[in-house]
Amino acid sequence: MRKLLTVVGIIAILSLLRLTFVSADQQSAAGPEAKTEIAVKNLAPMQESMTKEPAGALRGIENFVRYTGFANLTIGHVVMLLVGLFFIIIAIRYNYEPLLLIPIGTGILIGNIPFVSGFQVGIYEEGSVMNYLYYGVVKGIYPPLIFLGIGAMTDFTSLISNPKLMLLGAAAQIGIFLTFLGALMLGFAPPEAGAIGIIGGADGPTAIFISSRLANGINILPDGTTVRNLIGPIAIAAYSYMALVPVIQPPIMKLLVSRKERLIRMKPPRTVSKTEKMMFPIIGLLLTGFISPNSLPLLGMLFFGNLLKESTRTNRLSETARNSLIDIVTILLGITVGASTQADVFLTPDSLLIFALGAISFMIATAGGLLFAKAMNIFLKDEDRLNPLIGAAGVSAVPDSARVVQHEGLKADPTNHLLMHAMAPNVAGVLGSAVAAGILLSFLL
Amino acid sequence: MQIFLSNLYKMDMISFINWDLILGDGLIITVIGYLIVFIALVLLTLVFNLIPKILKMQISRTPRKKGLPETLNTARKEIPGEVNAAIGTALFMFFNEMHDAEDPVITIKRISKNYTPWSSKIYGVTRGLNRRF
Repeated sequence: MRKLLTVVGIIAILSLLRLTFVSADQQSAAGPEAKTEIAVKNLAPMQESMTKEPAGALRGIENFVRYTGFANLTIGHVVMLLVGLFFIIIAIRYNYEPLLLIPIGTGILIGNIPFVSGFQVGIYEEGSVMNYLYYGVVKGIYPPLIFLGIGAMTDFTSLISNPKLMLLGAAAQIGIFLTFLGALMLGFAPPEAGAIGIIGGADGPTAIFISSRLANGINILPDGTTVRNLIGPIAIAAYSYMALVPVIQPPIMKLLVSRKERLIRMKPPRTVSKTEKMMFPIIGLLLTGFISPNSLPLLGMLFFGNLLKESTRTNRLSETARNSLIDIVTILLGITVGASTQADVFLTPDSLLIFALGAISFMIATAGGLLFAKAMNIFLKDEDRLNPLIGAAGVSAVPDSARVVQHEGLKADPTNHLLMHAMAPNVAGVLGSAVAAGILLSFLL
Repeated sequence: MQIFLSNLYKMDMISFINWDLILGDGLIITVIGYLIVFIALVLLTLVFNLIPKILKMQISRTPRKKGLPETLNTARKEIPGEVNAAIGTALFMFFNEMHDAEDPVITIKRISKNYTPWSSKIYGVTRGLNRRF
């Protein structure tokens, strides 16, 4: 009985398949009118080829060749593919920010493999998977989630034990504002200039958040023109320079800090009570939130994440925020930001200007932190003096710039460990750049 | 500098730059924005300079309120970082040594396998299939 059923089933399936193919053949023979019923938009090349004479397999091969990446390759794609490969190589070979550069580099490869538009493949094509994922960047959803994770993994102890180091985090934000002026000089509209300036905050999520609000290609300027979409170049510049902190900062440190100053030993940080650690996120949230409400999506999540950690009652939540959640969002953010650098959108003179301004911004921010630390030393007692190197950690780039400070400090004196001290301005820099972002939003939106 | 400026004039860069915007709104946003960032972080600095003092005052009042001797305060005073590090190192070394002192005799425990219908050959799901084919 079972065998009989199997045989009947197979015959039924075969007859169904035959019917399907026959109807498809009839449809193709019915002419161009019938073809338009196929629910594929903008398939001009395909329709063109179908109306031409070569039929059957030859036509299929011709279409296939026309749709391959090789047929649509431009020099722009080649350049961007090389950039993507470069990111992946420096991440793997030199261990430069691999968690960021591998997703971004792969994203650049994905975004720059040439394709024929209309198949819902590209990141800028409505309905494509990448477009849905990119929604989190365009609408500024990912950055606050990243901040939640950062809050849950950041230990503010060094900052609470020596609160005056917060000023170094504020001082380094000079990079943001001077670059804003620089971008205005180069002809960018004020909202675009604000988004470019934030690269100096050395904070990828903040840069994406601000550019998604100010330079998103949607907002209308007072003169009736639309702002340019600069999310891709700004995000890539911010993350690239964050990865290049160990290359950019040391020469500026050597230039501005004398050998004698580099040898300064700082007092060990005092012990911080649990109560203080718990109070920090609450007071920080209230204070910074009231001063700059526009930075609430970022700072609110940062302090929320930190409260999850410090309350010691929500270990499961803080574990998730600092591990799984931030990992997932980093993957999505990296791959979509990378894919958004499609050669035709990304390779413009504006992008080159943004990269140049970003580099200048980083340098100014580093110099601002170093010089302010030197200035503070004038007013501090001898035992409270700061090693000016820690000023460089005022640009956020957590924890890379603090690591660079530690490295440079050890070069001058192998027994002088500055990492704990540098972490204070480092996390203050995150707060400072988020507050600055909120201020720019309130002025320019 | 003069040469640089004259070059800029020649390239028409000076007239290209919108000085009104930069010296007007641009400069205002820069100065006020930077000041606000400073004010926010200075306020946080002040608050967190005050908090340990307030907490200390509370701690020193508690034993007096409860009628306990002042000497109890000493136990609640902060421990310097070096002492914490020394305690941490001592604990680390102690637990490391404990690991070294573990029993070197390795034994194999024989586990008796009791009958269970889950591992039964009589009730296996492939029994019927095997018989048919």
